[in-house]
Amino acid sequence: MSNTLTVNGQDHTVDVDGNMPLLWYLRDVLELTGTKYGCGMSLCGACTVHLDGNAVRSCMTPVSAAFGKKVTTIEGLSPDGSHPLQIAWIKNNVPQCGYCQAGQIMSAADLLERNPDPSLDEIHAAMQGNICRCGTYLRIRSAIQDAAKSMQEA
Amino acid sequence: MSATRLLSGGVSRRDFIKHSSLAIGGLTVSVALPLSAATGGDTGFQPNAFVHVAPDGTVTLWCGRCEMGQGISTALPAAVADELEADWARVTVLQADGDKKYGPQGTGGSRSINIMLEPMRQAGAAAREMLVAAAAQAWGLAATDCYADNHVVRNRQDDRELGYGELADAAAALPVPEEPALKSKDEFRYIGKPLPRHDQDEVVVGTRVYGADVKLPSMKYAAIRHVPVMGGSLKSLDKSALTGIDGITAVVEIPRYNKPFGTLGGVAVVADNTWLAQQAVGKLDIEWERGPHGDYDTDAYKQELVRNVEAPGEAVLDRGDVDAAFENATVRHAATYVGGHLSHSPMEPMASAAWVTDERCEIWASTQDPQGIQNTIADYLGRQPEDIIVHVMMAGGAFGRKFKCDYVTEAVALSKAIKAPVQLTWSREEDTRTGYYHSCSAQHIEAGVDAEGNLTGWLHRAAFPPISSLFDPSVTRPGESELAQVTGHPYGVPNLRVESGESIAHTRIGWYRAVYDIFWGFAFNVFTDELAHKAGADPLAFYRRIYERSLATAPSDEPRREQAQRSLAVLNKAAEMGEWGRSLPDGHGLGLAVHHSYHSYTAMAVHAEVQGDEIHVHRVDCAVDCGLVLNPDIATAQMEGAVVMGLGLALRTELKFKDGAVVNSNFHDYPVLRIHETPPVINVAFIGQDYRSTGLGEPGVPTFAPALSNAVFAASGKRYRQVPFAAAEPV
Repeated sequence: MSNTLTVNGQDHTVDVDGNMPLLWYLRDVLELTGTKYGCGMSLCGACTVHLDGNAVRSCMTPVSAAFGKKVTTIEGLSPDGSHPLQIAWIKNNVPQCGYCQAGQIMSAADLLERNPDPSLDEIHAAMQGNICRCGTYLRIRSAIQDAAKSMQEA
Repeated sequence: MSATRLLSGGVSRRDFIKHSSLAIGGLTVSVALPLSAATGGDTGFQPNAFVHVAPDGTVTLWCGRCEMGQGISTALPAAVADELEADWARVTVLQADGDKKYGPQGTGGSRSINIMLEPMRQAGAAAREMLVAAAAQAWGLAATDCYADNHVVRNRQDDRELGYGELADAAAALPVPEEPALKSKDEFRYIGKPLPRHDQDEVVVGTRVYGADVKLPSMKYAAIRHVPVMGGSLKSLDKSALTGIDGITAVVEIPRYNKPFGTLGGVAVVADNTWLAQQAVGKLDIEWERGPHGDYDTDAYKQELVRNVEAPGEAVLDRGDVDAAFENATVRHAATYVGGHLSHSPMEPMASAAWVTDERCEIWASTQDPQGIQNTIADYLGRQPEDIIVHVMMAGGAFGRKFKCDYVTEAVALSKAIKAPVQLTWSREEDTRTGYYHSCSAQHIEAGVDAEGNLTGWLHRAAFPPISSLFDPSVTRPGESELAQVTGHPYGVPNLRVESGESIAHTRIGWYRAVYDIFWGFAFNVFTDELAHKAGADPLAFYRRIYERSLATAPSDEPRREQAQRSLAVLNKAAEMGEWGRSLPDGHGLGLAVHHSYHSYTAMAVHAEVQGDEIHVHRVDCAVDCGLVLNPDIATAQMEGAVVMGLGLALRTELKFKDGAVVNSNFHDYPVLRIHETPPVINVAFIGQDYRSTGLGEPGVPTFAPALSNAVFAASGKRYRQVPFAAAEPV
């Protein structure tokens, strides 16, 4: 397989060790810093991105696993910040420090893609891998419910 | 993201706050406005360090206090904009660099609103009066005939108006008013309104720049392993495993810098990217000398603290006659409360970029204390504080941890060593294992209630390694100021004895969100609930009796009168919101707690369910009095966050030491709260809004754990006297 991948629609040829986690390829090589480091062990979800449309923890995904695939980061979730989740996040004033929120939004986007009308338990199951130390969980939940509603109405 | 965007803007700004006039304790700030508004060649109008009006009408406001998620960079600039009569849509908020001209910037102790609201309002009001005066001059009218209205000045004679941009240059030539008139409450445009945070748009698209995100030209990346024990040192280092690995710039030994915010010391690897650096530092073969604290064991230490408070300690206060009160009491009770160490664990680990040359030292850091960085790094490099340029980056959570700049000291050491800019990001493991921790603690309380049901005597012994040990290692127990919440007893009990127990620090102790109030709030409220049950009283009625008695016996000028009144008011409100007394199914219970800290008051009614060993929280009702609320939505979010943090620390998060070093390492063994465990309903109400505004970053945290302990007792008869509950079996 060739050592190329697509990030937010742009093709890149990777010239670093294929074992480098996708997280650090995005942050330190491409300088796309919206994706965050939180734990390095898939425990906190701050590094969540989409790989061919599925949410993955980029801190434990080697960049070589993305060769030939499409990576979407928070910077590429929508062209202009108008994804229903981004709108709902602002409407609910979700972020406090905001550091975990890219990962939260990327996990939530994956959830709504697979399940447009999630129950509370389904939201909890999908989101419990994403830690928010500021404690914005109630607003995350409300924002996901709002976004689901607006996507169904659209 | 361009590197140059992060470099300082070079806008000349005038000193505004007279720094030397700060009262100790930070309650009052006097404001010295400069006599002339000359702006040193800048276009537009800058009457003080915080406000700039450009000729195109754009208003720039600098926030001197540090943002870490608490919303201060929205709340304070909104207050400036309100007094300025600026259109919020035309306001840009910038985070100020570290500089004394912004007044005190050390952002902790829930002080920002308390000490800076009035000077910020004056900064806005002064600018508004000058814009009005400039318009009056242009029209040949008296200033009293002119008024500001949402980014324009109008007059009462005709329908002419002049925009702020048009007036900027003329206003700049006018004298700055000494005592600008502030708006009255009914004139507020933004204060008290749920204005959205100014940075939400950037957060949701991933462009908000945190300390860990800073990129500089030719920058290298670093990872570090610290000496795992305070006071330890490097014994041997074998770097041979790194031979032949491309992309490694240097392996740098950083010796311990024995200052409060220096560094524990360690070994760092500087490389082309963070992953390489992390991998390489992990491969180093390192032996540590553990040093004098190499036997620290928290399980044994907490038992020692308990022994030290269950025997007489060193007297700190002895008021009235506690022994006689106990002899005459009809109900007596004694209990011991224990708390473990906590780690702040912000989602963004410690991170800083530094660029040190012979001429210049420039720092980009997630920090709560940029002037503290200036002082620490000036000492470290042998330079002057004003020569240390500190750019305050958005902090990805902080909770008190980022008040201590050890990670900045290390980034500076690395940049100096390799003569290039360096970004140092600690791993989560280093963040967990080598922090500054919330103090573990033990408290023993004994109290007596007389035949009339009044609380008459109280003995309170406390032992915890205090934060003062960071500044003076000879400290062996908490001092008088660190026991102020006990000596200034919340119930004003007439016979009071306070004693401290020996508690020598074996690790770095630091401020954690709400600091000692976490264990004060826990012990006072759980003990009060226990005492009520022992006296056969309803807890709410018992609390009311205590506060009413305190009010009845306090001299009219005593601060505790106001404290009792406001405590009682939030307690009553929380009880009303939580429908205290409602009937609940078996296994469910309601618990109350009230706490006064950082000049604000919070009370909570917690509805919990106990199923075997599992505790579920169904609902939390919070009543808050932090005076006039600047932004009710942001304030509500602070309380929601306090409940989430409070539930995590109540149930299970504890940092443990064995053989001198921290046992925990990451979120699997320091399990902070997750979304599915969050109480489904958190109601927040604000009362007391005629009082002056005070802070809310911390005051919500101490109230939750005791309210939960009391709810669990009501539900199950199990009494948790320690946090986390998981640390020991209930009584």
